Amino acid sequence: MADQHKNVVRREQTHAEDVNERPAVAPRVDVLENENEILLFADLPGVSAQDLRIDLEKERLTIEARRSGSPEQGTELLAEYRPADYRRTFLVPRSIERDKIDAELKAGVLKLRLPRADALKPRSIPIRAS
Amino acid sequence: MIGYFTDLDRNFELMNQLRRRLDRVFEGVDEPGWWSTDQFPRTNIYDTGKAFLVRAEVPGLTDKEVTLTLTQDVLTISGERKVELPEGYSVHRRERLPMQFSRSFALPAKADAEKVNATIKDGVLTVTVEKAAEVQPKQISVRNA
Repeated sequence: MADQHKNVVRREQTHAEDVNERPAVAPRVDVLENENEILLFADLPGVSAQDLRIDLEKERLTIEARRSGSPEQGTELLAEYRPADYRRTFLVPRSIERDKIDAELKAGVLKLRLPRADALKPRSIPIRAS
Repeated sequence: MIGYFTDLDRNFELMNQLRRRLDRVFEGVDEPGWWSTDQFPRTNIYDTGKAFLVRAEVPGLTDKEVTLTLTQDVLTISGERKVELPEGYSVHRRERLPMQFSRSFALPAKADAEKVNATIKDGVLTVTVEKAAEVQPKQISVRNA
């Protein structure tokens, strides 16, 4: 337990680039799947299209979004969220067709379609009676 | 009956306050679920001197789905959040729930109902409520005697 604690505290120092590290939170998501595609919705309030980055590296899909804007002026009376950046990584099958990924951002909600490659779609195999 | 519920509410509110504080102990833990509140929409309120600035996270909502009312010093945000969930898919993760919501915030000073400005952009609702004239900050000049 004590060791775990230590790790949490020291975690930041293990990155080489922690100078630019901004606080990030994981967005809430819905993940759906059918035989043709994986469909992902993410709540990204405060994010516009140019501040959103989606990376697919091998089977790691990362959604990263920067929230622009300066800190708020004045005295804080109620603070239920921090205007932090968003970051979340998912493991997806390798059979995603990269060129056909479609992302749409509307009113702070991302809709991401990850189509499966045709060759890897589940097929039912007909059985012949002999 | 009303009095009974008010007392009950107050106790719940105390518990909520405690819970909010405890939740914030773990701020920065970058995992889902570590939010400071479960309530929708999550809201920040600032006092900018002349006005109150209210920001609420309402992802997916447009101006038609949010209703704002201001009564003296109570601002109420209500509406319905619909979540797109197409048919024919199996669900792996479901963290965004559809709901009807209504939250009221007591502002610490009287507001000017005529001077309220509300916009919604990228799923964030911004409301600027100017304070009533009698509670506007006044600068008092100091003279050399």
